[in-house]
Amino acid sequence: MYRKHTRRAAKAAYAISLGVALLIGLIACGGAGASPAAKPTVVVGTKNFTEAYVLGELYKQALQAKGYTVKYKQNIGSSELIDTSFRSGKINFYPEYLGILVANIAKLPAPKTAAATLAAARKWEAANRKAVIYNLTPFSDSDSFGMLTSTARKLGVKSIADMKKVKSFTYAGFPECKSRITCLLGLKKFYGLKQAKFVSLGSISVYTLLDQHKITAGDVFSTDPQLQDKSKYTVLKDPKHIFGFQQVAPIAAKSIDSPALRKVVNAVSAKLTLGAMQAMNKAVAIDKQSPAKVAAAFLKANGLS
Amino acid sequence: MVLADDRFRPGTFVDAFRFIGDNAHLLLVKTLEHLELSGAALGIALLLALPLGLWLGHRRRGFFFAASVSNVGRALPSLVLIAFGLTILGFGFWNNTAALVVLAIPPILTNAYFAVAGVDRDVVEAARGMGMSERQVLVQVELPLGLPLVVAGIRISAIFVLATATIAAIAGGGGLGEIIVDQASYGLAGVVAGAFCVSALTLLAAILLGLLRRALSPSPVPTA
Amino acid sequence: MSLVAGGPVIPNFGQGSRCEQTNGWWCTDWLHAHWGDTLQPALVQHVELSAIAVGIGFALALVLALAGFRFRLLDAPIGFFADFLYTIPSLALFQLLVPLTGLTVTTVEIALVSYTLLILYRNMIEGLRAVPTDALEAARGMGLTRFQTLVRVELPLAVPAIVAGLRIASVSTISIATVAAFVIPQGLGNPIFIALRQDLFKTEILAAGGLAVALALTADALLALTQRVLTPWSRA
Repeated sequence: MYRKHTRRAAKAAYAISLGVALLIGLIACGGAGASPAAKPTVVVGTKNFTEAYVLGELYKQALQAKGYTVKYKQNIGSSELIDTSFRSGKINFYPEYLGILVANIAKLPAPKTAAATLAAARKWEAANRKAVIYNLTPFSDSDSFGMLTSTARKLGVKSIADMKKVKSFTYAGFPECKSRITCLLGLKKFYGLKQAKFVSLGSISVYTLLDQHKITAGDVFSTDPQLQDKSKYTVLKDPKHIFGFQQVAPIAAKSIDSPALRKVVNAVSAKLTLGAMQAMNKAVAIDKQSPAKVAAAFLKANGLS
Repeated sequence: MVLADDRFRPGTFVDAFRFIGDNAHLLLVKTLEHLELSGAALGIALLLALPLGLWLGHRRRGFFFAASVSNVGRALPSLVLIAFGLTILGFGFWNNTAALVVLAIPPILTNAYFAVAGVDRDVVEAARGMGMSERQVLVQVELPLGLPLVVAGIRISAIFVLATATIAAIAGGGGLGEIIVDQASYGLAGVVAGAFCVSALTLLAAILLGLLRRALSPSPVPTA
Repeated sequence: MSLVAGGPVIPNFGQGSRCEQTNGWWCTDWLHAHWGDTLQPALVQHVELSAIAVGIGFALALVLALAGFRFRLLDAPIGFFADFLYTIPSLALFQLLVPLTGLTVTTVEIALVSYTLLILYRNMIEGLRAVPTDALEAARGMGLTRFQTLVRVELPLAVPAIVAGLRIASVSTISIATVAAFVIPQGLGNPIFIALRQDLFKTEILAAGGLAVALALTADALLALTQRVLTPWSRA
């Protein structure tokens, strides 16, 4: 009698759990279907660092506020990986650092001014990726040669050219830095720093490695909030300007381009000054807020949502 | 760490083999790094867990402990251990090694316990009756009889450690994992190649230790 | 709020607490603020991923185990294949599947189901095989057909082994699902990755990691209880 009860109980339990599992699976699949909208669906892609997340959220939420359907592909990676995604149509909108685009993706010779960078970028996009570049943001963010202030003092270096006298040192950066003329390749070529040993960044930030004395120096971004603490981190001067002119501008595929879209995007871009970006980066990186909330607060305060 | 390549590309497998051919030296270096980390962790785990498990089994004490340690061990996700190791101990040799040791101990401990505790009591009593000391009973009677199960436990540990050492790459552990997590540097072909290599490595270890266990199993007594 | 003539309004985003700014071990304010938008969704995703994997794995394992049990010839290849897949590290298996099924939940689920399958298959077959011959003889004596014997005698007697396998499979699946964050930004592995990038943000790592361990232990306890309830005559 007891065995029969157990058997029934077991069967019931398994049937129920199986049913629940299947139900969950069906609901997950069913929920994925989206209804078509009058406005084109914008698929926003982002790179894989704090500022990229903030920029992505800013444009995504601004577009959503104006009635666009937005799909969000966060954390794709470097410009090179984004290039693959963009060309295959997986994304059709993303904010780009124009100097990086021109030097590393378009592989054109380094332009001498910011205006020349924009012109070269626009020409290349139209010809190669059927895309348009919208208005520039006021801020720019370029790679920089960063290290602990204590290390800089110990080595007695103030500019990247001074690093030539250091026997050997490690330099950390995202994997794409190794082959970029605006990064390690440029350091080796233009500053003759052949003794630099490259350390590839994966899941760990360059500041963690610097703090733990695992690397001598690393590729940092000029708008990083950590750099505001000059007693802790120092950025070496770049007299040869190998890091390029890094104005930021959103790039959109021609297929979704329209005056209406342009208006919404440009309105956001106009508000992104250096001060604004630094404040937002700090809120996310130091004060541990979520990029979505920070972007939402900014858009609201500026009447863009 | 979302990668950008998500199209159906079975041709990648062909590229992966080409990658192995072109980068044999790199893969060899990484494999050795991988084995170094795994070996160190497994060695330390053996030193800590094997004597304890054998002794507890011999004294037939701590059944609940031995049984639960296995359950708890299984509930510790490898990524979490690696992340904890890095957070608490910082970069270096110990953060990954400690995490791997924690993961390796449960199977060795539990199996050692049950291997010894499971030996037929009559045999043990007979040995005691013959005047053997406790240590002699353990070393000369219980351990040989329980060896297959002990080796089975070591085999499971080895598989766990080799697998988790792959993930340790994100915390500076080096090894084949370094290739597998870095699509930006090595391309999808490289990542798949690394995955092949680490799978082959783990498979080899599993097979070798499996053979060892079989070799150590007492041959079945022929029934009349 | 800061206002520059003609410039943007920069709202006060609120200062992080002292704890957050200096990366303290356990910042309760962060936990309060981000439970809803970071930890809870990750937890829910994790449970979903695991539940689907165990559910499908269970169904498949049952079918395969019955096949391997009934047709002895099938057991060797299925068992061999199962053991083979089990030794592949989870991360490697995920990456091997990416060129085939992309960076999707499908890839993750295929891998998770595979691991669940292997554990359950072994346990189910062992359980079915361990049915004492006396019971089988009695069934034959009572005139039961092959199918009736299976359903009324062999499966019920295999329940202890099956539940034991389910317990191990569930805990393992929950553990392995943390690695899914390498492929898709879901599950409790995701906050851990984000935190590693953010200068090893201790609170997030400990919280997400702790949740994963707690989830696995809870599943283990629940299934141990189920084991005890269904088979009170065997030691859990």
